[in-house]
Amino acid sequence: MNLALAELSRLLARRFVQLMAVLLIAAFGVTVATTVASTHKPTAAELQRAEQEVRVAEIQLEPLRQNCEQRSPNLSFCDAYAQQKPRIEDYLYGVFIFSDEILDLVYFMIAFLALFAFLIAASFVGAELTSGGMTNLLLWRPQRITVLGTKLATVLAAVLALSIVASVLYIGAFYALAEIGGLPGDLDGEFWSDLVLTVLRGLGLVLFAAAIGFGAATLGRHTAAALGLIATYAIVWEIGARIVFQVTEASRPERYMLSSYIGAWMAGRASFYDQFACTNGFGSLCSREYELTWIHAAAVFAITLAAIVGGAFATFRHRDLA
Amino acid sequence: MTSTVWFWHMTAVIHIEGLRKTFRTMRGGARVALNGFDMTVEAGQIHGFLGPNGSGKTTTLRTLLGLVRADDGRMSILGHPAPDALPAVAPRLGAIVESPQFFGNFTGRRTLRLLARAGGVPAERVEAVLTQVGLRDRGNERVKAYSLGMKQRLAVASALLKQPELLILDEPANGLDPAGIREMRDLMRELSTAGITVLVSSHILAEIELICDHVTIISRGQRVATGPVAAVLSGFDKGEYRVRVADLDRAAGVLTTAGLPVTRKEDHLVVADVGDAAWIAEQLGQRGMWVSELTPLTPDLESVFLQLTNSAPEPVPTRQVDEAIQPGTIDLGVQP
Repeated sequence: MNLALAELSRLLARRFVQLMAVLLIAAFGVTVATTVASTHKPTAAELQRAEQEVRVAEIQLEPLRQNCEQRSPNLSFCDAYAQQKPRIEDYLYGVFIFSDEILDLVYFMIAFLALFAFLIAASFVGAELTSGGMTNLLLWRPQRITVLGTKLATVLAAVLALSIVASVLYIGAFYALAEIGGLPGDLDGEFWSDLVLTVLRGLGLVLFAAAIGFGAATLGRHTAAALGLIATYAIVWEIGARIVFQVTEASRPERYMLSSYIGAWMAGRASFYDQFACTNGFGSLCSREYELTWIHAAAVFAITLAAIVGGAFATFRHRDLA
Repeated sequence: MTSTVWFWHMTAVIHIEGLRKTFRTMRGGARVALNGFDMTVEAGQIHGFLGPNGSGKTTTLRTLLGLVRADDGRMSILGHPAPDALPAVAPRLGAIVESPQFFGNFTGRRTLRLLARAGGVPAERVEAVLTQVGLRDRGNERVKAYSLGMKQRLAVASALLKQPELLILDEPANGLDPAGIREMRDLMRELSTAGITVLVSSHILAEIELICDHVTIISRGQRVATGPVAAVLSGFDKGEYRVRVADLDRAAGVLTTAGLPVTRKEDHLVVADVGDAAWIAEQLGQRGMWVSELTPLTPDLESVFLQLTNSAPEPVPTRQVDEAIQPGTIDLGVQP
């Protein structure tokens, strides 16, 4: 516990961490400010006009629905007509609707938090390995796995705590904004459970990013190693290999991309279209669509963590330290 | 090694035997850093650890402290096998290896408090060691504002926090001004008086000679000399005297005729193998030559070190760091 508290003090006192926290707050601030600048409380006239437009839309939809029910109720667009319920929010312009926009904003927040977590976790161990700080610590506590494990646990706990606080403040700020200068929208139980689940998945992704950054920097003995790993992966695999897969008409290439699994993790599932599938006939038996779920994503994340973080601990256990 | 012998070495505070380490590069290269190195440090000693650059001093200390994995050999610290038992021994051991890097944004006091917390040391020790190393009034300044010498003092303070029985200091005088070097010397003496065993590696040979009672010299990864400083020096004492007289040529003739090796210098003679200095004065006096200086030339640690490690400066070509002599161990002193 003493070691963890000492590590937490070191983490919080790092200039880089403080700088990143300021940048994070600035990014969130800019997002909120931009939204504030682009929204307003709808006037009575705007609401009245929106209500009228809703009524018009209902009138226009009704014959389409009846037509569908009588002729072809199983067609997908008929399902869409049946489910479509025009809302006032759909006909208000320049108004921030919390229920409609918060999920996209949460994705943005998670992306920033993941980047933040990756960088500070990588620098937390990378800088110590480079500067000799780790050596100092090991002279005090000559238990490599304990020291490295405490460091990782500390940075993960700190990142999680900061992410939870940031999420609450961020979502709360937009909710307040909607109440004051926009509209909250339909906030039923399903909405809140979806939002909470998305945030929880996002926090998982943030922790994953932090652990990968920490592991990569430990393996490479430098913060830059983690940045290099990400840059190399993005350029060589996400871009380069994607082009190669395209040229070689490889089947279902998205299965090999970490970004696909990140998408599947956050959304619960992600559907992809394989343009090279079903080229040999057998029409209706062959599907060009395929799906990745959050379970697939969890498995890929676990394997990646085992390789990078497990590898980092395994090598650190026996490595010569400068 | 038999268990009996091992038990016998358990009385040594540090015992290293047959330590080997080869660093391998990604390209398949290899550099032998330690080639069967042995060292023993007994309780209460201030033990100097000398060697040229690249001779293996820091590798030895890092290996002993578990930072570098040995390829072969046995080590013990405070009677416990190292590095396996280091976690158990750590509370009794203080060490600084090379110039430790501290977090620049922390104050010296906060740095020590964090270390104390991490090591389970009472917070009161922080003030005690800050005072001990002369940083009490500068403890609230950020480390990045410290001079190299102040950082070195902070490093020593961190090593002293635990009130160690054994202190391992790698180049503790690095960056210290003359007053700081003297304070460091006094500090080591104080610590030794208090019963702390000190192993100190340094390039400042005069300092080692002043403060250490025992010394181990390493060259190319092997021990070339070990023992009490006086014993190591006496091993290189050729019984030489500097003789100054008015007529150097005549005096040289007399002494050479008497069978003594004489070297003619610009304004004096160096006479070797002198058993009794009075005999020289007598021989020359009988021939009407009055001796104005008759001084024994005792070797200092620097000259011994340079001889042992073959690292004396050469005009051309520049000696390379790995060109120290391949040693046959010269054991001049007390062996455990």
